[in-house]
Amino acid sequence: MKGILRSLATTFSTFTRKPVTRQYPETHRELPERDRAFPVLLWDQEAHEPFCTGCHACERACPVECMTVLMKDNPAHKSVGGESSRRKIIDKFWIDYGRCMRCNICVEVCNFGAISMNNTWSGHEKSAYDRAELVQDLPMLLSVSRGGELKPWVNE
Amino acid sequence: MMTETLFGLPTGVDAAIRLLIVVGVMTVVVMALIYLERKVLARFQQRLGPTRTGPMGLLQSVADALKLISKEDIRPKNADPWVFELAPFLVFVPTFLGFVAVPFTIAWQVRELELGLLYVLAVSSVNILGWVMAGWGSDNRYAILGALRAVAQSISYELPLVLAMISVAMVANSLNLVEIVRQQATVPNIVWQPLPALLFFICLLAEMNRPPFDAPVGESEVVGGPYVEYSGIRWSMFFLGEYAAMFIMSLLGAAVFLGGGAWPLGEELGVGWQLALTVVKAGAIIFLMFWTRASFPRLRIDQMMSFSWKILLPASIAQILVTGGILVYNLPSGLEHTLLAVTSAIGVLFVYTAINRSVATPRPRPVVLVRRSEAAR
Amino acid sequence: MTNAVQSDHDFEVQDIMINMGPQHPATHGVFRMVLAVDGEIVRDVIPHIGYMHRGGEKLSETMDFRQGIGFMDRTEYLAQFNAELSYVMAVEALMDIQVPERAQWIRMILCELNRLSSHFMFTGAFGTDSGVFGTAFTYAFRWREEIMDLFEEITGDRLMYAYFRPGGLAWEVTDNFAQRVKYVLDQCRQGIKDVDNLITNNEVFKARTQNVGIISAEDAIDWGTTGPVLRGSGVPFDVRRDEPYLFYDQVDFDVPVGQVGDVYDRWCVRIEEMRQSVRIVEQCMAKLQPGPIMPERMPRMLRTPPGEVYIRTEAPRGEYGIYMVSKGGNRPHRLKIRSACFTNLQALKDMSVGNYVADAVLILGSLDIVLGETDR
Repeated sequence: MKGILRSLATTFSTFTRKPVTRQYPETHRELPERDRAFPVLLWDQEAHEPFCTGCHACERACPVECMTVLMKDNPAHKSVGGESSRRKIIDKFWIDYGRCMRCNICVEVCNFGAISMNNTWSGHEKSAYDRAELVQDLPMLLSVSRGGELKPWVNE
Repeated sequence: MMTETLFGLPTGVDAAIRLLIVVGVMTVVVMALIYLERKVLARFQQRLGPTRTGPMGLLQSVADALKLISKEDIRPKNADPWVFELAPFLVFVPTFLGFVAVPFTIAWQVRELELGLLYVLAVSSVNILGWVMAGWGSDNRYAILGALRAVAQSISYELPLVLAMISVAMVANSLNLVEIVRQQATVPNIVWQPLPALLFFICLLAEMNRPPFDAPVGESEVVGGPYVEYSGIRWSMFFLGEYAAMFIMSLLGAAVFLGGGAWPLGEELGVGWQLALTVVKAGAIIFLMFWTRASFPRLRIDQMMSFSWKILLPASIAQILVTGGILVYNLPSGLEHTLLAVTSAIGVLFVYTAINRSVATPRPRPVVLVRRSEAAR
Repeated sequence: MTNAVQSDHDFEVQDIMINMGPQHPATHGVFRMVLAVDGEIVRDVIPHIGYMHRGGEKLSETMDFRQGIGFMDRTEYLAQFNAELSYVMAVEALMDIQVPERAQWIRMILCELNRLSSHFMFTGAFGTDSGVFGTAFTYAFRWREEIMDLFEEITGDRLMYAYFRPGGLAWEVTDNFAQRVKYVLDQCRQGIKDVDNLITNNEVFKARTQNVGIISAEDAIDWGTTGPVLRGSGVPFDVRRDEPYLFYDQVDFDVPVGQVGDVYDRWCVRIEEMRQSVRIVEQCMAKLQPGPIMPERMPRMLRTPPGEVYIRTEAPRGEYGIYMVSKGGNRPHRLKIRSACFTNLQALKDMSVGNYVADAVLILGSLDIVLGETDR
């Protein structure tokens, strides 16, 4: 019966420990810097335009083909009177969060540092009632970075 | 409140008031116990229990009851209607009946019965019939399998339970629960009779289908036991019965073994102190039941049966024989008590070693091989 | 299945078929088991797998060598690093890449920590199977959280890491790696002690699991079982010791081996393996030096020369092997996953026949199957 008494002692010792429950959604735990939620596009604060030029590198590299990318000539390029040095800029960008598997390959292949994984809680709280709501278009993808709270971690 | 009526009211009104007391207290206590079980079990697992329904989750039982009442009352088409419908009642009404004789303090119980102990034990075993009816009336082969297992387990564990109580009754020379409590004013019975206390606790777990003896109920491996065809409020009546039985039998155990309201200093300090003592002792037994639930795996049904018939029953019979043998000589009280205590402690040791031995003979733990000294292939 | 009974009435006794459907109360994944039962004794076990088949091997043929790592996570979803490791080692073997030392040591540390978390999951699921109401499960997940927190800090994800790359690692570990690993190891030691004290010596547990589901050493070898199932039956075969990969030949560890081959032995073997994993991680941390994590000259697009290779590693469930056939190009021509659980499941019938129905669940739990790996 020794083993039985030992089991009882073990459960009693956990009885005296503090519970490890965290009351979500009132408290959110702090996410680490490298946390990898869904990808978002980055906004260039100085040039007031996205970093993304629509080069299709991430679209080709994606294993599940969750992105659709369309580029256009940049109306703010220097040659047509603007200040930007980007000849082409992103026109339309869709990422289907329902297909994305958060593998980080799009971030790794991007030459412009234009896409990164969202390491804030808003990247995780994406529940929707309809799968079509999970498809993000360009303004939605840029919104997190434009708001200024995103500190993206892109490994160099 | 013993044989006079309350405040001199006519007997009919008095009986109705006592009935209301029984029903009211039991319902509140059962709901409180369901909530407490979830909170205490959660603490054993290092988490919080219900926290969101009401402040600190206190309204969780109410929420559960409301949910169950609002469920559809499903009845199998070929179920025998009377048997199916009456089974839940037969499971939980007897425990309410048992409430009648259990003493809360030395002077307070619903009715003082001369055969109180016998009454409580007899009435609490009527729920076996309820399980048979539930299993048979469900028209489901798994229900009847589960029900028969529950019944076999219950009957097997009744015997050591009753025999353990007989031993205590022999020492106390009475079956009146109030007498038994009063006689423990100086020392509780668990000191003189630890073996019946242990047997009582183990058989209690088995009677109420609590882990580790919950094979009929926790048949999540295959089916849900005798309750499989019940839904909504009928199903909750079974569990009401289980928690009510838990409460009543804990009170009984507190009264018979731990001294009820009488120890320590019960008679001197009055009714409030006695009530507090009873509640604390019953609470300790209930806590012990929650504790065992959190800690043990489930026994297989054949292991359960062999445990009862091969270990508990001989122990309880031996306890009765030895107790009788000691009592027959009319020894002076101190010597008699010491002999009782010693023999009972030997009985506890016997059960201890029997449990140790009944598992397969101890084997050395897995052999570990050091990497380099062995040839690779 | 019929057993003819000798009598003058011409009876025919049939076994009852009990279906333990794809949804189990104890979360082993979507696995269906049909038991043919005679009274209480199991006469036959017919397992049905394939509920989680995703065409993974075919999918991997369409993904190049970096994209394919994500799928390997999703096969063995409780021991992801071991699965990724087999894959990247296969690519490295085909392309003859030398992995830097630091990457190898870190890979070892992560694989052993993953073994710890996988075995914690096993203790939780098996404790639930045997009837401990929730305590074993909550303990297991509470300790797993510590390990998963560490993995999240390093890789960014709690379950699907995709961290190994052919040639080394995707990126460097965090700066406080050493302190975090030390903290996690302390927590794991406490966790192993808790789980051990709770369950291993409990007489009720021993009564349920000893002499149940016995498979002899010869039968275990014949069925091709590997991992704790094989070692529980007394066969001292461990890929880490017999065909060392990474730096397993430079660390000191013991291989626990059972004696009887029952469910209790498999439990004890896994608990002991957890302790050995802690030992291995400590030694690796002592030997970890700063350095590069990828070779200097890695091609941007990985193209393997034509050839084929079979690489096997010791996953927590057994031997996880990758057989890769390459015909040039940046995708595998054929990728076959030799999954440990698939082979171990074949021994289920041998172990279960003759035992009671109530034990069938315990025997299945002791095999510790992961359906992602079985079905791919």
